Amino acid sequence: MPVKTDLDKDQLKYVPVEGHWDEALLPSGLPRRHWRKLVVEIRRMGFRHLSRRWQSGQQLIQSEGVTYNVGNLTEGSEYSWPMDPIPLVIDAKEWASIERAVIQRATLFNAILSDLYGEQRLLHQRLLPSALVFANSHFLRPCVGITPRGGVHLYTYAMDIARSPAGDWWVIADRTQAPSGMGYTLQNRLVSARTLPGVFDQYQIRQLARFYDMKRASLLALAGDQRANPSVVLLSPGPHNETYFEHSFLAGQWGFALVEGADLTVLDRCVYLRTLNGLQRVDVILRRLDDSFCDPLELRGDSLLGIPGLVQAVRSGSVAIDNALGSGLVETSAHMAFLPGLCRQLLGEELHMPSVATWWCGQEEPRRYVQEHLKELVIKPAFPRFGQHPEFPESMSAAACEGLVRRIETQPDEFVAQERVALSTVPARTETGIVPRHAVLRVYAAWDGHSFVVLPGGLTRVSTLDSSLVVSMHLGGGSKDTWVLSGSAAEAAAARRRPTDQIPIQPGAGDLPSRVGDNLFWLGRYAERVEARVRFVRALWPALSSEEDFGRAVSLETAIRLLAGFAYLSEETSAASLGEQRWSVQRTLTEMVYDPSQTSSLRWNLKELRRVAVHLKERLSSDTWRVLQQLESHFSAFAPANADQRYLGGLDLLDNVVLTLSAFSGLLMENTTRGFGWRFLEIGRRMERALQTSELLRSSLSSAAAEVEPCLQILLQIGDSSIT
Amino acid sequence: MIFHVTHTTRYIYETAVSHGLNEARLTPRRFPGQEVRETALRVHPKPAFMHQRKDYYGNDVTAFEVLEKHDRLEATAESTVEVTSELTGPLPSISWEEARKLIAAESDPAFIEASEFIHNSPYVPAAPQLNDYARKTFAPERPLLECVQDLSHRIHEDFKYRPKSTSIDVALTDVLRKRQGVCQDFAHVMIGALRSVRLAARYVSGYVRPGPKVQGAQASHAWVAVFVPGNGWWSFDPTNDVMVSDSHVTLAWGRDYGDVAPVKGITLGGGGQTVEVEVYVRPL
Repeated sequence: MPVKTDLDKDQLKYVPVEGHWDEALLPSGLPRRHWRKLVVEIRRMGFRHLSRRWQSGQQLIQSEGVTYNVGNLTEGSEYSWPMDPIPLVIDAKEWASIERAVIQRATLFNAILSDLYGEQRLLHQRLLPSALVFANSHFLRPCVGITPRGGVHLYTYAMDIARSPAGDWWVIADRTQAPSGMGYTLQNRLVSARTLPGVFDQYQIRQLARFYDMKRASLLALAGDQRANPSVVLLSPGPHNETYFEHSFLAGQWGFALVEGADLTVLDRCVYLRTLNGLQRVDVILRRLDDSFCDPLELRGDSLLGIPGLVQAVRSGSVAIDNALGSGLVETSAHMAFLPGLCRQLLGEELHMPSVATWWCGQEEPRRYVQEHLKELVIKPAFPRFGQHPEFPESMSAAACEGLVRRIETQPDEFVAQERVALSTVPARTETGIVPRHAVLRVYAAWDGHSFVVLPGGLTRVSTLDSSLVVSMHLGGGSKDTWVLSGSAAEAAAARRRPTDQIPIQPGAGDLPSRVGDNLFWLGRYAERVEARVRFVRALWPALSSEEDFGRAVSLETAIRLLAGFAYLSEETSAASLGEQRWSVQRTLTEMVYDPSQTSSLRWNLKELRRVAVHLKERLSSDTWRVLQQLESHFSAFAPANADQRYLGGLDLLDNVVLTLSAFSGLLMENTTRGFGWRFLEIGRRMERALQTSELLRSSLSSAAAEVEPCLQILLQIGDSSIT
Repeated sequence: MIFHVTHTTRYIYETAVSHGLNEARLTPRRFPGQEVRETALRVHPKPAFMHQRKDYYGNDVTAFEVLEKHDRLEATAESTVEVTSELTGPLPSISWEEARKLIAAESDPAFIEASEFIHNSPYVPAAPQLNDYARKTFAPERPLLECVQDLSHRIHEDFKYRPKSTSIDVALTDVLRKRQGVCQDFAHVMIGALRSVRLAARYVSGYVRPGPKVQGAQASHAWVAVFVPGNGWWSFDPTNDVMVSDSHVTLAWGRDYGDVAPVKGITLGGGGQTVEVEVYVRPL
């Protein structure tokens, strides 16, 4: 039992925010019944022990490369997935009501989509104002009249829910386009189970694996039984997408090819994947690309991410898409104002869980209400376009409010107002202690062929500050695992993955998409280029040593000649004073290591190596990925601005990079299946090595014939061939 | 009036195209007032696949795929069309405010259908300049069709017809500023002005009978139809400042040019491209 200091106790002290429901504690300060075990365990562990356990969890996030790309960072930069180890615990009874609500809502939205892309009776019966369809850019006219496979539009649905101060759950957002977060949810579970193993085993927590198995099986089943070996692909917008990590994670978990638009082509209304073995039919597309970008021929003509002719293929019935093209139509929060009536009409029942109070300004009466109560509301675009955000009149100047009112008056259809929600709080671990954060829970439902099945868990997202009511991963919020408790031991056992459940079979090597072959080729080339760079710089480094060193293999003169041969230095340098010579060589060598703007630098090439590797993430082993992360960290751990320090630390850095690189090459050589992919990797490596070697020979030997000897020595050293 | 129309679209590519997917809206619509006696679309090189369907607006679309390597693509539509619609009787007298109110109330399936055309569309985005331009025409209680006629007349007077002065990529606000353009631009301006007062207006593509002072003949033409509650759609050609009768052959309609582009396609390869269009309209 660790000895607890006072500081430790202070950090464990948790005070909820007044006026909000707290998930963990009762108003009396005692833990709620279903939180008891967790609270006891955390108190037993103490803050320091919890933090130590948490380090191990964070390592998992690091080594698995769990990232979230945030739009406003420079291109290609990623955030480590923000998470904290204290889960949100939900008891069985409460979960049952959430489950019922999410199933109802998925069913309802599916019915609304079927109607709006079919007979549009809802418009004719005036249950939904036509502007919410006709003025919505997510209404994809070419998809009207298409009946998707199995008559289902919505195979995957998610809703964001939050708890009011009175303890009731409210739906605050619906996700019908391509709900994200299912991969992160699974990842969070892996991390929390590792961080809190003791208490995880004490609870009967419902397992997630069965749901993911079901999702995989239902995607395969969606192919129908026309073909013996149906092929499912996960369509991603690419590595710049914020949730690319989970695209590659889920594709890897399920054994589906991860593709981008350019990997697919449509021929005579069928979709094919371009592979090294030629075109392979695609039966099902799990899309993470917004539908309007999916086909530049019939949808957005400016899309570079889509597959020309895809809508024709869908229309002909040759391919199924999860979710159906056009399903983004019902994501607008404006629909919430009409859901109770729609639910009564379409399902003959009341909504199980209310939506946050919503007013669509396209109608006169609600608009008047909004204008009169502006300060109490959040104003949102009804049809959000990229870069549009909610506005909070409460904290706006009078002039800004007036401007907003005017905008609402000119384009009333375009605005929705919603009540501001007082989100519940949940304990979160921060560096300074355990503090309350506002939480929103995303819950998922998926169509299993007969009905909607709910993921027994979900993605809990929390605000960055206890004062902030905006919960958004975009704005740098955090996340948590969600523990749903079983009602009984029997129920828990039934929910476990059974050993008889099918083990995913990976597609054959012949299915390697052409783009992946191309990326493997470049991975090989960059790996080799980085290595050549390191060896070259490392061999020249001793030339700067002022000591007369017996073992010194290179003179300053030779170094200048080699650098001039590559045009990194001008020929005149050799005529300069000794001091200047040293300085020029030192500057050139350090730049060749550190300068991220020079395409010849080690830093730049490592960045490129990683960029290519990101495209291949689901195909690289987690060890390979870890080594790659380590390569990066050499630079992030040691990047002094001072030129002399750079020089002094440079040699150690290069030594470390060489070692890590050999681990990388070793893993690539030993742990890559000798399939087509490996051949591309090899072609890249060999080609780059030949290029690098011939370039080295040309630059060093072609100029002066007189002093070949010192050059030869250094060449042998660079080629690692001094002793043969 | 019977017309024989030949419409050729030719794409010339800088480098060879190995796979081309295209959609053509070159088959004249059939509707009361327009009879299509004969129509055929020929494509060269011969497409591997050709499929016919109706689009969302009920226009005939021919989708085709060319799989052989080609550096030019030619699509020729040839049609014989009889236009019988004639303008008779007095114009409906409904005021523009009343029309707008009826459409907004969505009290009739036809009104709901028409309400689709009161909203912005990709080529006709909302702009305060449109409403500024429209205001002069829409005096209180003025009959709707009188307003539309006046609007058409004003566009004809205010804007210079300059063939080849714009491409379809010129923004509507630029057209408004420069006060010049081609028939598509005039149609878009008029549609935008009508929608700025929340009236339903759609874009019609087709051909106009050649004649002295007729602009836009022997080319793809475009005009505007406006919805009159209880009286259906009425067409006006702002380029020639006329109400459309039997001198116009209708190809297709939609919210704007983007919905009815005569030919559009996506090619694999090809580099840059030039497009040539030849239209012959012959009254029989």
